Amino acid sequence: MTSLKTTLAAALAGATMLAGTAFADGHAKLTGDLKIFSDMSNPAPRAVMEGMVARFGEMHPDLNIELTVIDREAYKTQIRNFLTADAPDVANWYAANRMRPYVDAGLFEDISDVWDEQMSTELASTKGAMTLDGKQWGVPYTYYQWGVYYRKDIYEELGLSEPSNWDEFKANCQAVIDSGKKCFTLGSKFLWTAAGWFDYLNMRTNGYDFHAALTNGEIEWTDDRVKATFANWRELLDMGAFIDDHTAYSWQESLPFMTNGDAAAILKGNFAVAPLREAGLDDSKLDFHQFPAINPDVALAEDAPTDTFHIPANASNKDNAKAFLKFVVSAENQTMINAGDALGQLPVNNKSSVDEDKFLLEGFEMLSSNSPGGVAQFFDRDAPAEMAKVAMEGFQEFMVKPDDIDRILGKLERARGRIYK
Amino acid sequence: MFPTPLDKRPPSARVTYQAFLPLALIAWLLPLLAVAIFSIKPGADFTNANYWGVPSSFNFIENYGQVFFNSDMPKYLLNSFLITIPTVIGAVALSAMAGFALGVYKFKANIWLFFMFVAGNFVPFQILMVPVRDLTLDLGLYNTKTGLVLFHVAFQTGFCTLFMRNFIKALPYELIEAARVEGISEIRIFWYVVLPLMKPALAALAVLIFTFIWNDYFWAVVLTQGPDSQPVTAGITAFNSEFRAMYHMMSAGSIVAALPPVAMFFLMQKHFIAGLTLGAVK
Repeated sequence: MTSLKTTLAAALAGATMLAGTAFADGHAKLTGDLKIFSDMSNPAPRAVMEGMVARFGEMHPDLNIELTVIDREAYKTQIRNFLTADAPDVANWYAANRMRPYVDAGLFEDISDVWDEQMSTELASTKGAMTLDGKQWGVPYTYYQWGVYYRKDIYEELGLSEPSNWDEFKANCQAVIDSGKKCFTLGSKFLWTAAGWFDYLNMRTNGYDFHAALTNGEIEWTDDRVKATFANWRELLDMGAFIDDHTAYSWQESLPFMTNGDAAAILKGNFAVAPLREAGLDDSKLDFHQFPAINPDVALAEDAPTDTFHIPANASNKDNAKAFLKFVVSAENQTMINAGDALGQLPVNNKSSVDEDKFLLEGFEMLSSNSPGGVAQFFDRDAPAEMAKVAMEGFQEFMVKPDDIDRILGKLERARGRIYK
Repeated sequence: MFPTPLDKRPPSARVTYQAFLPLALIAWLLPLLAVAIFSIKPGADFTNANYWGVPSSFNFIENYGQVFFNSDMPKYLLNSFLITIPTVIGAVALSAMAGFALGVYKFKANIWLFFMFVAGNFVPFQILMVPVRDLTLDLGLYNTKTGLVLFHVAFQTGFCTLFMRNFIKALPYELIEAARVEGISEIRIFWYVVLPLMKPALAALAVLIFTFIWNDYFWAVVLTQGPDSQPVTAGITAFNSEFRAMYHMMSAGSIVAALPPVAMFFLMQKHFIAGLTLGAVK
């Protein structure tokens, strides 16, 4: 019986490989079913997802594809449910530590075989983020850069230029404050926005490897190097760089300070561009610069959260799912789905081309040539969920009560001792 | 015992009342007004902090057009009807029969059975989340409208039975005795004697249950997923994305989702009030 199963499995695996090779030529037609659960629920991502399914369906007319799009927030709770209960063949999720619970629980399929040599070269920038325990557990389909989005017109009015180091950064900020504005808008009500600041300050002060080790629980939060990060942060706080009462706003509610000109910049992901443009900040008023170096001895590293597709371990049509994943990361599809009129983000395949969009071009340039230190996924994806929650509460508290830093770090350290076992 | 009617109060009290009523009304309706205004604003108004002002452009057709033609809202609305109406029928029918049995027949366990229905109402339904989800899964009803309907019927029947039993208990028992003397079977007594008398209670209960079920969010999220089975309350959040909440779209969606229960309320206003006070006054 066992041997029969093995034979069958081997035969299936053989068929997959055949399908895989032939697929590249566009000849092999898949048959059967393919059930996809997606969290791409906003109009534009949704159109992208439906477009991908339609194009994949055209290539394989005999394949019966069933797509279910679930609201992004609800998806985060439902995924626990459907991975065990009613598993689809393909599901969206996030890279790095965010997939660890499902990998550890054996709910995501190991798809290292999909990551052949060609794919590993083309997707080199994100392969690390898809790897846990030396195996790959999914494929990326999009990512985006983080950085400082600033009011170009305000900078020009004050005669400021993009800072290239920490002193210039602070000098710019002081000039903005002297003109009666705030340097940065921030809405820390939902905590994660403050984590963006921590990511950058820590990666610039101590470097990517230190940051990765810290989020991995290998370094004490009471370490002097961590304290150095907070000391840099404190300099900004003491200057009054951030808007008042930032704990009362969500990030969207913090944008009006920028559109009104009460704040000159925001540290944010590229998704902030769309609402700011809608609100009337065109390319002559809005610009982007990389977060400058603080410690010149550490290599620049960036936050670039990656969104992904996975195959649940309980899926019933894994071969079709693998073919779909390969289709998703193909250079042509990547160009198409990340274009400005689609997702408006960065393609993960280095053979793809980037849309003629100022911010996308700058981001692509930055991530492909000026981020030698590495690419982080954002604090709440790099650190385990439980630690991220405690730490982000700590960041927010620190921004309000910077004098309590020792107590806050003590709390984080106790949480570290409890969470990473 | 009762407050003095307004027209018998001194004029100063009347003037104060008339001055404050509109103010209180506006304060009360402010959140609703905000939602209504937002539903015709463009998304940029939120980013520009134009929360209460005049819309920068009038986007009624765009926003509501999106809701009806470019989203799953119609599907979600249909689901809501397909879940709510069978539940109302099921819960009301079952509880009318259970209420008849508990209200008319005298048997030993009557009061204990009745207490069980009442006690069921006091179980916080959050406690049932995991077992019910596992149960629907084992029955193959997970992520189906049927599963949601069955669960709602089961859960609402407790409250409905309490309501019905008390109503039937208040009916003159002589009516039933008279019918029995005539030799009419019990089922015909229920159908021809009791049920016609219960019409106001049935109507009131139907309206109440309709609004309860229509507004349910918890079970919609626990037991169903996606536009094939989820009702509109869960569907509204589909306008959210990873980073941005589309407040203008959600507002338009909420207005559309709120219309059926509001319409129901106005059409059945009389019964609704009766439903809330029935049993309170004897």
